[in-house]
Amino acid sequence: MPKGLQTPPWTRRDVLKGAGGALAITTLASSFPKPAIAKETTWTLANSMRSLANPYHATFAKGGEDFAKSIDARYETLVTEGNSEKGVSDIKALLQRTGGKLILNVDPNDSPDARVIVEECQKAGAYVVTQWNKPADLHPWDHDPNYVAHMSFDGVPNAKAIANALFAAFGGEGGVVALGGILSNVPAIERKLGLDMAIKDSGGKVTLLDFQPADWNEQKAFDITQAWLTRFGDKVKGVFAANDGMGMGALEALRQNGLAGKVPVVGLDGIAEAIKATEAGEFAGTVAWDPLWTGGMGLAIPYAVATGKLDIAKEPHAHREFYGTGIVVTKQNVAEYKKGGSKLDFNDLWGKATGQIQYRG
Amino acid sequence: MSTVSLEKRSAAAPGLARIVRHGRDWAPLAVLVALCLVISAFNGNFLTIANLMRLLNTAAIPLVLALGSTFVILMGSIDLSVEGVVALTAVLASLLVANNISPLAIGLWAAPAAILAGGLLGFVNGWLHVRLKIPSFMTTLGVGFAGVGIATAILRGFTARIADPSFRFLSLGRVFGVPMAVWIAAVALGAALVFQQRTRSGRWIYAIGADESTARNAGIPVERTRILVFTVAGLFYGLAGVLSVAQFGQGHALISQGRLFTAVTAVVVGGTALSGGVGSVLNTVVGVLIVVTLANGMVLMGVEPYVQQGVQGLLIIAAVALSLDRSRLDVVK
Repeated sequence: MPKGLQTPPWTRRDVLKGAGGALAITTLASSFPKPAIAKETTWTLANSMRSLANPYHATFAKGGEDFAKSIDARYETLVTEGNSEKGVSDIKALLQRTGGKLILNVDPNDSPDARVIVEECQKAGAYVVTQWNKPADLHPWDHDPNYVAHMSFDGVPNAKAIANALFAAFGGEGGVVALGGILSNVPAIERKLGLDMAIKDSGGKVTLLDFQPADWNEQKAFDITQAWLTRFGDKVKGVFAANDGMGMGALEALRQNGLAGKVPVVGLDGIAEAIKATEAGEFAGTVAWDPLWTGGMGLAIPYAVATGKLDIAKEPHAHREFYGTGIVVTKQNVAEYKKGGSKLDFNDLWGKATGQIQYRG
Repeated sequence: MSTVSLEKRSAAAPGLARIVRHGRDWAPLAVLVALCLVISAFNGNFLTIANLMRLLNTAAIPLVLALGSTFVILMGSIDLSVEGVVALTAVLASLLVANNISPLAIGLWAAPAAILAGGLLGFVNGWLHVRLKIPSFMTTLGVGFAGVGIATAILRGFTARIADPSFRFLSLGRVFGVPMAVWIAAVALGAALVFQQRTRSGRWIYAIGADESTARNAGIPVERTRILVFTVAGLFYGLAGVLSVAQFGQGHALISQGRLFTAVTAVVVGGTALSGGVGSVLNTVVGVLIVVTLANGMVLMGVEPYVQQGVQGLLIIAAVALSLDRSRLDVVK
């Protein structure tokens, strides 16, 4: 065979494929954030949460980023994707990589995870703050100084307050329907308890027509609300939703039936859509948790400890396990809330704390 | 229900056996009728026009999704990318109409754009499945995850609120007292029926689902048909994404949470076999109505929330057990 006719080891198609692949990899690689080079502090800061696909956690992550920027520190976000294993192993990997020079603000996927995370951080010499979920017998003061604090929001009084805002919106007399979260969730239980208390306090004027768990799911809330309109008709004077996402589902179901703005809805969490609906008079209100604050202060407090500005072991228990301030946003104060919402003073460590956490039953 | 299997079988089945077999074909419809009777005995409001409209409105998006899944399941494959494709097309649609995040505002053109994007993702499903010979279970699971991931990355966890009343009309509008979403779902059903009954590819789906190697020997382009079917399914999911955005007035990555389960359940409850080759889009209509009516009915009857899921599970098993032709099953996996 003449030399010229020998087939080359690769075809034109292979070359094109290779070039395409290389291009794809370059594009993909360049879309990742660049590693920070020169930084003022040797500490790495990180927020860990379920996912960035919900507004609450997305804002929580932004709060952490804002604080990290204010002190010019390295900042990372870790997501568990609802998987405890992944959550814990990502944290272990980060402890390894930073040699324990880590300040962690974590919303554990599940309560038992908190213990593992705290113990790993203590072993490595890192500082940790937990949010929302932890076992009742795990306390920061038992793991001095590494387990700095636990932050949460009290579902009971806030749910009660927003339920009362709902009752006021329809004149304080009539039937309400209520959408609950996943049955075994602590916030779901607390928020239901708050609603029950508000109904009891109304002295029989407000009745609970029906309670259905919609599992924090907007779509389910939509379907259930449609069925309620058939079952109860105009006996429904208001809709209580244990979070804003479900409240939005209920609102759209009301809209399909020409009732948006006529039957008030309330929720909790303070997502942007709920604030907007409150302005429009379709929501009677929501409770804003201020995830920007928890996201930032959950790093600011342990940073003060790590840099020696604060001796956390000497702080009272009310500074170690505390509730943040829920803001009840209604038509009356929504304009004011939107104006002053995002200013944060990272030196005012416990400015928005409201009392030590209680353990119910 | 499914005309093919009916004709084929009734010729051979004599007497009682024939009645039993016919009964099996009509079982899903019987379950639906029984369900309606029971619910209306408990609550007189169930059979009012207002509630029937609400039921149809609730059924619209699940039906569009289940129509797409039906073809894939008829072929003996499975499509788990439903939620991912809907999430991505919904986010795309919400960013293309007037909204609070992107400056774009192409109005109703967003609908065909999102539907085509769904078709493209479906094509990716089919291409990966056929060309790389990855089981449809894995391919579609992967594409589904990627869809949710990309949707999340685009919006960074936030929600795009749409401000285009003409787009919202697709769900909120009413023509002759019937919600637009129901009309759109009806048109989708018509298109699905034509595809199933009147096109060659539609008939090939049954051949492939019943016995792929025979179909191949008969000269049916199995690979091409498979890719086409996944693409068609994607188009339906894209339409469901559009309807979701119109329904909620917003697009976000979690908009379709829980839809996959409803879609697959509806197809199977309607009497379409997961093993492929048996069933029809009409079965799926009945299946969707059963699933939706059941959920609606349990709230109407005031069934305890704790009990609802259990009842749902039992009814699904009952519906499938009634419609399954055990004599034709050699192997159950």
